[in-house]
Amino acid sequence: MKKAYGLISLLALMMLLVLAGCSSDSKEGSKDASKEDGKPAEKEGKDIVIAVADNFTGMDPHDTNDTLSGSAQKAMLEGLVGFDKDMNVIPLLAEEYSANAEATEFTFKLRENVKFHDGTPFNAEAVKVNFDRLSDPNSGLKRHSLYALIETTEVVNEYEVKFTLSEPFGAMINTFAHPAGLMHSPKALEEFGKEVARNPVGTGAFKFVEWKPSEGLKIEKNEEYWNAGFPKVDSITFKPVSENGSRIAMLQTGEADFIYPVPTEQVEGINGKNGIEVESKPSIVVRYMSMNTLKEPYDDIKVRQALNYAINKEAFVKVVMNDQGTVLDSIIAPDVQFYSKQEPYAFDLEKAQGLLKEAGVEKGFKAKLWGGNSSGAIKAMEFLQQQLAQVGIEVEVVPMESGTISDKIWSVQNPDDAELELYYGGWSPSTGDADWGIRPLVGGKDAFPPKSYNVSYYDNSEVDQLILDGLQTADLDKRAKAYEDAQKTIWNDAPWVFLSADNTLAGKKNYLKGIYLLPDGSLSVSDIEIEE
Amino acid sequence: MFRFIVKRLLEIVPILLIVSILIFLFVHMIPGDPARLVAGEDATLADVEMVRKELGLDKPIVEQYGTYMKNLFKGDMGNSLKTNRPVSEEIGERFMPTFWLTVWSMLWAVVVGLLIGVISATKRNKWQDYLGMFGAVSGLSLPSFWLGLMLIQLFAVTLGWLPTGGMESWKSYILPAFTLGTGVAAVVARFTRSSLMDVLKEDYIRTGRSKGLSERNVTWGHGLRNAMIPVVTMTGLQFGFLLGGSVVIETVFSWPGLGKLLIDSVAYRDYPVIQAEMMIFALEFIVINLIVDLLYGILNPQIRYE
Repeated sequence: MKKAYGLISLLALMMLLVLAGCSSDSKEGSKDASKEDGKPAEKEGKDIVIAVADNFTGMDPHDTNDTLSGSAQKAMLEGLVGFDKDMNVIPLLAEEYSANAEATEFTFKLRENVKFHDGTPFNAEAVKVNFDRLSDPNSGLKRHSLYALIETTEVVNEYEVKFTLSEPFGAMINTFAHPAGLMHSPKALEEFGKEVARNPVGTGAFKFVEWKPSEGLKIEKNEEYWNAGFPKVDSITFKPVSENGSRIAMLQTGEADFIYPVPTEQVEGINGKNGIEVESKPSIVVRYMSMNTLKEPYDDIKVRQALNYAINKEAFVKVVMNDQGTVLDSIIAPDVQFYSKQEPYAFDLEKAQGLLKEAGVEKGFKAKLWGGNSSGAIKAMEFLQQQLAQVGIEVEVVPMESGTISDKIWSVQNPDDAELELYYGGWSPSTGDADWGIRPLVGGKDAFPPKSYNVSYYDNSEVDQLILDGLQTADLDKRAKAYEDAQKTIWNDAPWVFLSADNTLAGKKNYLKGIYLLPDGSLSVSDIEIEE
Repeated sequence: MFRFIVKRLLEIVPILLIVSILIFLFVHMIPGDPARLVAGEDATLADVEMVRKELGLDKPIVEQYGTYMKNLFKGDMGNSLKTNRPVSEEIGERFMPTFWLTVWSMLWAVVVGLLIGVISATKRNKWQDYLGMFGAVSGLSLPSFWLGLMLIQLFAVTLGWLPTGGMESWKSYILPAFTLGTGVAAVVARFTRSSLMDVLKEDYIRTGRSKGLSERNVTWGHGLRNAMIPVVTMTGLQFGFLLGGSVVIETVFSWPGLGKLLIDSVAYRDYPVIQAEMMIFALEFIVINLIVDLLYGILNPQIRYE
């Protein structure tokens, strides 16, 4: 009898523990009503902690390529131009810019009386030093290719600088706004060389303090920032916290003031509680399923269109994205420059079956769907599998680890050797321009792997010409027209099943203002302030 | 004993050499092109090739191994492909956090585990035994990932007593060390119980009892000492595993340790970091094995070293 009591009391104790853990949210809510009704939570001091999902890779924007590192770099270093909340190009260290009609010459008038954190003056010479470094093919910098077209950078006078390109490139202004175009102090470049990646010195709102990859990055207020009145906080610490649950717990306890990203399935659970707000904004990240157009039956446009009709995209957004996204209605998302809306492929199984019949595959076929092995990708692929089964297409889902994907998809030398049939993927055009949303993905033979990311092996000379037209001019109207036509043709040819555009999701304490995620998923912290 | 230690230490050199070759080959056999991963998601082929050259990955594998060994003898483990910092710095920064977390976890786990084991063995089939073993089975079967998140919810979010993660003060150690040690405590308890029960059946214990030794003296003085050999072996192994960094715990508690680093570097195909970490793990196991062997002699003086 005694032992039974022991067992029962132990079980009861464990149940209590579990319940205490699970019910914390509701308890917190009833204990302190003010935390629930959206009143600002309290904050002491002006030091902000931001928990992010990964480690930074380096603080040299010229030699890193992850959006996350770019977010931190932007707080310390600035470019000639940048992006606003909606990915529009805005002047930053340059006050004005102009281009010639052929899009080969770009001139920038610089802001005066700006100093780097080490006291070096910002001027045309400093711009030249940075872009000479970026455009040098022997620099070994990961971002060289973005600026490889720059032939010369000339100092016109102290506050004017002129770039000449080796060939026309209409998307150049957006490329200057890309985080890779942030500028180091020339003195720091000379002193540290490649080590600037650990000793960043820029003109930005915040100065570098310390970076330990395992523990995080600390930056502090730049008292002499040119934009008077900013920054409004004393310091920001970025902490890498890869586990979603832990990141959310940090926000709940107040150990973090801002976290990013919030997993889509947790939004409901934390929004509005403990003084937490979740911000969900449209991004430019698109999700698609590409079809290898060199392979049967996907070489038939009817089959590709049929697959587009066979999949319920609203349901995709609901089920896979937990409603945190929108149905894609072009190859690029609305916030990308020169986006043009297309007529969506409605969810219509009859139409899909009709098209498959016309293509001679009414009995359906077997297909292999490749993709990443994250839980999100697997969920998406299983959804697609279930949808396509309705029209008799038997899909085998093959999740792959990133290294395997790089071997089996991105490194294939000869297009005919590609085993790939269907691929579930995503893309974010980091320059915010239609060019980078279209050319690497469907830009004909030049974009076939391993050169670029055209996994549907889509090759349409009309589209290639339109891409070229869009690049050979700086005239915005001409560029818009070219991309409009390109989007229409691609939409009709359906090399992809166009699925959705993601939302960016961030969680913050409701006293924070001025901090936001751009549609490209990068974070802007320069205007951050604490509401009293 | 001194000769034994020197001999064992000298043996480490050839073992590490063989391990280094195996690790090098193994690391290069993982599918995935590090140049492409390093170059980034929207890199062009030109970028990828440039990175490959920059990293020396375009050279034959034998030449790469040669360069690697040459640098290793100079004490240079290369630079991380991901952060471009020296590997020694990347690892150095994370070694002590993992080491101390392991030490604290092992310490409480061994003390509590031994206590439960001894009580269970001496109170065999009584409620204390059932309670102890129920605890041990639970400790083994609770996924540490779940336990960690639950503890964070309870002690950090709801009660606000302890931090959710990171490594700021002594308070930061409590939750991860508790979570990490739970499994070990359970294993120690079970091993101690069964080993001690076997020993207590031995003739010399009966002799001791008949000579009038107190039950406490029999159990703690004679029984436990002899029962400790399998427990020490097992504890040594556990210690080695934990020193290798407990990936799950370090992820849940954002602990800046070696386990998290290994996972990140494998995902990134960060060859130099993976190689260096695996070498360190191998070395740790060898050293712990040596310590375990030495402990045998202390526990049972009949064991002679040759």
